[in-house]
Amino acid sequence: MEKVECRRVFKLSALEEDALKEFFNMGLGMAADSLSQMVDNEVLLSLPQLKIVSYEEATAHLVANQKEKLVAVRQNFIGELSGTALLIFPGAESLELVRTLLSDDMPLDILSELEQETLLDVGNVILNAFLASFTQMMSVEFDFEAAEFLKGSSEFLLNITSHLATQQRAIMGDSVADDERAVLLMMDFKTSDEEKKQHTLSGFVVLLFTRQAMAVLKKELETILGQW
Amino acid sequence: MSNQTAIIIDDSSLARMMVRKIFATSMADWTLLEAANGDEALALMADKSVDLALVDFNMPGMNGIDLAERMMETAPSMSIHLVTANIQERMRIRAESMGLGFIKKPINAAKVAEIMKHIGH
Repeated sequence: MEKVECRRVFKLSALEEDALKEFFNMGLGMAADSLSQMVDNEVLLSLPQLKIVSYEEATAHLVANQKEKLVAVRQNFIGELSGTALLIFPGAESLELVRTLLSDDMPLDILSELEQETLLDVGNVILNAFLASFTQMMSVEFDFEAAEFLKGSSEFLLNITSHLATQQRAIMGDSVADDERAVLLMMDFKTSDEEKKQHTLSGFVVLLFTRQAMAVLKKELETILGQW
Repeated sequence: MSNQTAIIIDDSSLARMMVRKIFATSMADWTLLEAANGDEALALMADKSVDLALVDFNMPGMNGIDLAERMMETAPSMSIHLVTANIQERMRIRAESMGLGFIKKPINAAKVAEIMKHIGH
């Protein structure tokens, strides 16, 4: 019954799903351009994946093959379209990114000290580029909350209830309902390792929407697709 | 009346729809072929002469650069343009060094008009 309910609430046509993936693709294309300029390396992108799932399913999906500690920058956006964007790195990869951005010979303890500040700056640039491009064909306006740095086990970090509850509180001043569903869009990326194998970075970007946001998104998709 | 033929190769239905509408509106004298991936495109083009190809980069199976290489072997005079969300400098350099046009998504009528100017249509 749960799955039927989920599909009913979040029913997207094949064309709407396709359009959403294309917007995500455009968003990450722009974000990858920002990242590639920062690390002076090409960023390779996977094909977008879209899933409409419960929190539990989303967490299970995200933590699959992610046994190690993760680091993320979370960027909530609030307005006509609200949601959460996450830029996620396996823990060691985030330090490599910081090392690439700052200096190859910086001692590890200094790098670790600068990790949070650096990743917040990087995450903010990347996620803003991503969201601006993701919504470029839509008529929605939204504001960004301050980016947050998160570090911990995958279960902790990918506690989607917590991400959505934060959003929901900002929108409704209320806690998120237990049966709330999430729309999950994700793409993997990694830097090309042609020259500096030791600096190969990988991570993924995740976009989460609540049911309310999904209704807004669906309306936007209908309008955009109606034009073509 | 032009007898020219273009092909759009993109796994996104939205991207193909946008190109279809632009051609229907502004370039109705062109024949437009559509393919969702490289294999489909090569099959479609096997027995047709195509003047202009608009190729996405990030597709299942063959990517747009590999597909363009294959198309250049069989139809060296075809004008090929990478139409991509992947706007990194290295991607642009790679495309341009192969002689491909490089168009940032989303495509629109103005960008298609620029391509037409470039190919002297």
